[in-house]
Amino acid sequence: MTTIYRDVYSFLELVKKTVMSLFLKPLRVKETFQQLYFVANGSLWIIVFCVCFAAVVTILESSFHMKLVIQNDSMVPGFASLLILRELGAVVTALLLTSRVGAGIAAEVGSMKVTEQIDALRMLGIDPIQFLLIPRLIATTLGCMILCVVANLICIFAAMIISDQVLGYTPSMFLTAMNRFVQFRDLIFSVVKAMFFGMTIPMISCFFGFRCKSGADGVGSATTQSVVFASISIIFLDFILSYTFSYFY
Amino acid sequence: MSEAILSNETKGLINKNVIIEAKNLSVAFEAHTVLKNVDLFVEKGETLVLIGPSGQGKTVLLKTLAGLIEPTAGTLSLYHKQWRGLPENEKIKILDKMGMLFQKNALFDSLSCGENIAFPLREKTQKSELEIQEIVDYFLESVGIIHAKNLYPEEISGGMQKRLGIARALALMPELIFYDDPTAGLDPITSKKIIELILELKKKNNATVIAITNDMNRAYQMADRIAMVYQQNLIITGNVEETKKHSNPAVHQFIKGELLGPLNSSFENL
Repeated sequence: MTTIYRDVYSFLELVKKTVMSLFLKPLRVKETFQQLYFVANGSLWIIVFCVCFAAVVTILESSFHMKLVIQNDSMVPGFASLLILRELGAVVTALLLTSRVGAGIAAEVGSMKVTEQIDALRMLGIDPIQFLLIPRLIATTLGCMILCVVANLICIFAAMIISDQVLGYTPSMFLTAMNRFVQFRDLIFSVVKAMFFGMTIPMISCFFGFRCKSGADGVGSATTQSVVFASISIIFLDFILSYTFSYFY
Repeated sequence: MSEAILSNETKGLINKNVIIEAKNLSVAFEAHTVLKNVDLFVEKGETLVLIGPSGQGKTVLLKTLAGLIEPTAGTLSLYHKQWRGLPENEKIKILDKMGMLFQKNALFDSLSCGENIAFPLREKTQKSELEIQEIVDYFLESVGIIHAKNLYPEEISGGMQKRLGIARALALMPELIFYDDPTAGLDPITSKKIIELILELKKKNNATVIAITNDMNRAYQMADRIAMVYQQNLIITGNVEETKKHSNPAVHQFIKGELLGPLNSSFENL
């Protein structure tokens, strides 16, 4: 139990130092843009591919269950759009970024720790938080927000296509239903969620990377732990944020 | 020599030249104590060599003296300033005077050999790209790996990586240089060349050197003073001649490389 308290304390210390670094030290613009390119451009097609299938499953499952319960699936377009904007777009994007970007950050920082590269940075008077964490934090946060908007649009577009092809609701019927269910603030809340998820991923990945132990399984273990904890944190944060946003309706 | 018998004038002269002073320094990782009540001072311009059996805490001591590991007890003074509680900008000013060759070289694997040397120059100086490239070429030539300028660290041999690590550590012309086992894994001829290079560059920069090595020939080649890390503490054995004649059986066994002696019990605990 003491270890858990110590770990939580260490994580909060890292958050505190990061916030101080973020506001008190100059931003490394070049590194931030390099990371943003890696996060956003590199993850785009994986996210597009996955959210398309998520949209298909959402439409088909909603239709199947609605037909089973109320013998009618006319509410599927509106209901699916709402689900996509409030949950799927942000959460699926964040979970995919966790496995692609988060794992990469933990492995990169972990191997830098093991090979004393982080000590070498400190010896040069370079703060590893400012050099490694801040550019990744800003890039992943911005990248997650941008990708969330793209994912929402693609997901709704895929849902519209599948509604037309399988359920027989034309795009105009779909958009009319969507207009009735969905509000602009749903998209805003989705982007706010993505912002929090985007901050969580590099924070947790760097935390495990910075405390990576040497040895054959050190980096592997840091990577696994970062993905597991980041995924759990995203699910938990999603609950907290959804609950909070419910007060705005 | 006990400090008590020195005159105040001599003490003053020593203190003026002392750039590292550790008093009752202890380092522990959770329940495991690595160093306990270590006392040490290092004077400007001297070469202190740390020897000792593996796993006794030589690297931990070196990193602590370099300010990379926070001691759990005791005081560390670098350039007459207490390290603990020193503001970050003051720490950076002191770190700017120091360079370090790490045990695993700590080369940035995403950068080429030339870029590895250019990195500290770009980060810490206002030099133009032309000047930086001149310095990079000078140091790569000094360590004999100019042909590897555009190669990545994983594409060169262990000895070349070591030499690149030395070149990077020296790129900012530091006053105080830490070498963690600069000849580990190298053949005797390359080892000798590396030590000659270290001494040549030290002479050129009038630098202070603290080095770890377990190769006694290399230790004798470069040391002004030798100290052995043993049983969580430090035995200052003196200069080369004094070390060779040291009465401590553990020191005697270590420098002679004998199988029987007090160090055997330490090895069993590893």
